[in-house]
Amino acid sequence: MIEVIDLVKKYGDVIAVDGISFSVRKGEIFSLLGPNGAGKTTTIKALLGLISIDGGEIKIKDMELKKHEREIKKIMGYVPERVAFYDNLTALQTLEFFAELKDVKCDCMKLLKEVSLEKAANRKVAGFSKGMLQRLAIAQALIGEPEIIIMDEPTSGLDAIGAYEIRKKILELKERGVTILFSSHILSEVQEISDRVAVINKGKLIAVDTIEALGKQFDMTPKLRIELQRPSSYILNRVKQVRGVRDASIDKNILEIICPPSIKTNVIKVIEDAGGKILDFKTVEPSLEEIFMRMVREDE
Amino acid sequence: MNEIYNILKIAKKEFMDNLRNKWMIALSVIFLILILVSSYFGTAQQTGKVGWSDISITIIAMMALVQLLIPIISLMLSYAAIVGEIERGSMNLLLSYPVSRIEVVIGKFIGLSAVVSSSILLGFGIGGIVIAINASINLQEYAIFIIASILLAMSYISISIMFSAILKRRSTAMGAAIFLFFLFAMIWRMISFGILVMSGSSIENPPDWYYAFNLINPVQSFSTIVTLNLHLMKDVASVYHPPSFYNSWTASAILIMWILLPIIIAIYYFNKRDI
Repeated sequence: MIEVIDLVKKYGDVIAVDGISFSVRKGEIFSLLGPNGAGKTTTIKALLGLISIDGGEIKIKDMELKKHEREIKKIMGYVPERVAFYDNLTALQTLEFFAELKDVKCDCMKLLKEVSLEKAANRKVAGFSKGMLQRLAIAQALIGEPEIIIMDEPTSGLDAIGAYEIRKKILELKERGVTILFSSHILSEVQEISDRVAVINKGKLIAVDTIEALGKQFDMTPKLRIELQRPSSYILNRVKQVRGVRDASIDKNILEIICPPSIKTNVIKVIEDAGGKILDFKTVEPSLEEIFMRMVREDE
Repeated sequence: MNEIYNILKIAKKEFMDNLRNKWMIALSVIFLILILVSSYFGTAQQTGKVGWSDISITIIAMMALVQLLIPIISLMLSYAAIVGEIERGSMNLLLSYPVSRIEVVIGKFIGLSAVVSSSILLGFGIGGIVIAINASINLQEYAIFIIASILLAMSYISISIMFSAILKRRSTAMGAAIFLFFLFAMIWRMISFGILVMSGSSIENPPDWYYAFNLINPVQSFSTIVTLNLHLMKDVASVYHPPSFYNSWTASAILIMWILLPIIIAIYYFNKRDI
């Protein structure tokens, strides 16, 4: 659906995006993840034709962006990081104006209802809160039922409830078959909703894959989290001696062990032999935060 | 056809914005007050009397003010047209829609020109009716004055949009607009007069270049179009012997050049600009 090939963007001597390539499949939620200044927004701006590029190619639905910008923009919606509308227009007039630009018929009241802004339909957007503006931005991105929606840090600056509502909306859009590309530096958010992730650091692409696959790719071993009735340093030492255990620690009555899943049974047997009584037991996959930190550390 | 529709949609939005925020009404009232005050009190200083003057005298009385007011209004209305939207962030959103940058520039130009033109037509139109009722009106002279006023406004709008498309900050664009105002309203005349004196020529019989240099200034072009078409100024004009190119047509062509050239430059720079 979206193909970015060797994208390069320079600002003077600074290389903001340095040969990034990735592709987004139809109907998936694809995240661009990276620290501030990594090149996420520059990549998104390039996808929207807002900046000139110094190298590479962008294709959307097999159409080259440079040659088919108008057709491509007809099937795309965009939610900017810094949402700004026209202060003199009401919410309804704002949607009507953008629908006119897209040359589509729009049940704008229905769109406002969808983002719970129907009561503010005739209010000027100048008085809208950040959360309301963000919801209006999503409503405008839905004009003309786009096949692709690009969102740049859509939850930035929102409170927990506002951010939750936006994430819920993104998942709803995926259900409808919309392809979503969004950027974020909030790892938990990316982990919660993304099908695949592209990790960008200092303008370069470090990795693209599902979160699980990234964990494997970077050899992020799952953890065993075992709740013991009476943990002791004796049990801890015995566990550390088991072949394959990389690390183990005790926090209150939780014994956390980093080891491959294949030696799980062995570890449990050692704990029981050492007199430990297991109350609960679970395997915890590495979090995106751990994977991300590892990737960025390795990259630097 | 898509392009024309998009230009009209953006122009309509720009026009409606200024209608909603009452700018248009305010401008119309300013133009109306200007013409009525000029007509009623305009000759008080010379004749010691007040009362309605005919349209030719009214035009002469308000020329100096119109030459200041129209450029100021046009510059202030449009200096932020592009850079203001970029700074606020709404340009990102606008350009994510199927509209080209050329359409945005032309649409904004047409919309803003329509705002000032409508205000001029409304304000001077109502004023003209009042003068026609109370004194007399030469329709041809008045129509030329209104058309020239509109051309002057459009040229300043075009120049402001050019600054707005080239400069990176709203404040810089405003600074450039203010400088431009002073350049054409005051500095230009000083420079041309200074060069004239330095060259040893007399103001009674200035050389051709002096006329040409002054005509390049849009304010002077406006003034030339209006004064050369007022019957009251015919006697004054006959004292001087201007070159053949010093006429309403050349002045109009120069104003049109001031409308087209900056817009072309604005499109060129805006097309290259990273948003």
